Amino acid sequence: MGYQSLGFMVFSAVVLLMYYLVGRKGQLWVLALANLAFYAIAGVKYIPFIVATMLVTYLAGRSIGKIYDKADAQIATCTDSAEKKKLRAEAKKKAKRFVVAAILVPLALLVVCKYTGFIVDNLNAVLVRLNVPQITLMQIVLPLGISFYTFMALSYVLDIYWKRYKAEKNFLLYAVYLSYFPHVVQGPIDRFNEFKEQVKDGVGCSWQNLTFGAQLAIWGLFKKLVVADRLGLFVDDVFEHYQDYDGMIIMIAVAVYSIQIYADFSGCIDIVTGVSEMFGIKLRKNFNHPYFSRTMPEFWRRWHISLQEWFKDYVYYPVSASELTKKVKKHFNNKGNKKAAELFATCFPIIIVWMITGIWHGAAWRFVIWGMFHAALLVGGVLFEPLFKKLTELFKLDTENFGWHFWQMTRTYILCCIGRVFFRAGGLMHGLRMLYMMVKSSHISVLFEKDKFYGIEPSNIFMAIVAVCVLLVVDIMQEKISIRETLAKQNIVFRWVIIFAGIFSVIIFGIYGPGYDLSSFIYEQF
Amino acid sequence: MEQLMEMLKSNYPGIDFENEKQLMTNGVLDSMAVVAIIADIESLFDVSVTMEYIQPMYFESVETMWEMIEELQ
Repeated sequence: MGYQSLGFMVFSAVVLLMYYLVGRKGQLWVLALANLAFYAIAGVKYIPFIVATMLVTYLAGRSIGKIYDKADAQIATCTDSAEKKKLRAEAKKKAKRFVVAAILVPLALLVVCKYTGFIVDNLNAVLVRLNVPQITLMQIVLPLGISFYTFMALSYVLDIYWKRYKAEKNFLLYAVYLSYFPHVVQGPIDRFNEFKEQVKDGVGCSWQNLTFGAQLAIWGLFKKLVVADRLGLFVDDVFEHYQDYDGMIIMIAVAVYSIQIYADFSGCIDIVTGVSEMFGIKLRKNFNHPYFSRTMPEFWRRWHISLQEWFKDYVYYPVSASELTKKVKKHFNNKGNKKAAELFATCFPIIIVWMITGIWHGAAWRFVIWGMFHAALLVGGVLFEPLFKKLTELFKLDTENFGWHFWQMTRTYILCCIGRVFFRAGGLMHGLRMLYMMVKSSHISVLFEKDKFYGIEPSNIFMAIVAVCVLLVVDIMQEKISIRETLAKQNIVFRWVIIFAGIFSVIIFGIYGPGYDLSSFIYEQF
Repeated sequence: MEQLMEMLKSNYPGIDFENEKQLMTNGVLDSMAVVAIIADIESLFDVSVTMEYIQPMYFESVETMWEMIEELQ
């Protein structure tokens, strides 16, 4: 059941009705049953995987909580500070066993389900060269949303281990958090404490939540069905048959793909955030108009925010604070090489984060290359920052005018596009060949060839341009104001004209395949 | 706390540590700056900043950083 389907809308409406009819005390049960039904519709075979992750992390969390509570009670009666320190260290040592188990089990499930094929393919490539019989692999299921719920489960158990909050006693509450149907498939990657605060006492029905949520969901549908799927007609054709196209057209397809993936993923997030808002539950922000970013670090603070924050809190900081990083840094410092120590401390965590980010997106080398490309950009940015500063001072460049900002935004967009060639291409060589064609055989004259529409009808080209312009205007407005709040202040006629325009534009201008089949979301595969 | 303030002012001259009380919330400090500050604190005060303390609330201001150092000592 795709989030953009009519089935999902009917499902959400039925659950919403039950949610508010049962009253605050029964809401958790309604959500739990809805999550189970949603997951079962996707495939009953997926259920044991999410339940295993749920049980292991919940039980580990409870055990860690009990260890800390017992230690705290002993510490409270203790007067000697050395003894207190010892009790804390002992508790942490005991808790470590549980946290390790709670990390390994969900990660093992993720690796087996998602990466076995990739590992076996690479092993077979080696075995072929050695003339050794290859490994045959049986079909392994990829549970719905496993990359997302695994990260949410890990954040829960790590936060308890690091004493950021107490372990949850109510299993139902934790189960609802992990399997919550609006965020289980494509995120946002929410945090338990934020989720719990919103649902633990139930939610009252609010007209603002219902209307604001519905408006956001309609906007998400517009992004997905009118913008992303329309652009996809052109992008898919060029990426599948790139040999038939001029480098200039490939270049345009890559630039358009960046808009498509933004409209697709942020559209999905708007739909689920809107639906969740109708339930009175605010999900984490996942996008903040990333293409207005002036630098790559800023881009990654605005794109897939919940994933970037997850990596920052659970990979970047732990790697930075790890014994290994400290030891290497100390080694360089002892040798009097302070620069190398600083360089290592800055670059090593970034490289680790981006290697995992790449492989998280998919079990293929092209994703690793994509991750490494971004790691190189971020490390390069840090290394060359002093040089760039000196150059701007030397040439007395005014960096605070619109022209400079626009150049920076364009540069960031182009860099993203280069990385995305690997992200979208069918394989590593496919991506490299596309890049080669863009550099070697681009002819501007192809843009003026008549009667060539590259897989799209002329009416769709016009519609695509209009839709992208609407997306751009709305994004610019959202940078300055809250459109929903502004709309709420307008008179009823104007308000409903806008809302109906949104609904009808989705129905009339949305892209539906044969038999009104809908294209799935790009991030659904991750 | 004076020692901490002095170190921060000298190592991060572009940041107003005296008046800014929401360094993390307002995006004044990014993750790389936090890691650099942790390294400086560890060498200056001979403490080990553990993961329990690597949270935005401890890096919002000089006062919260000092609170963290006191707890670690």
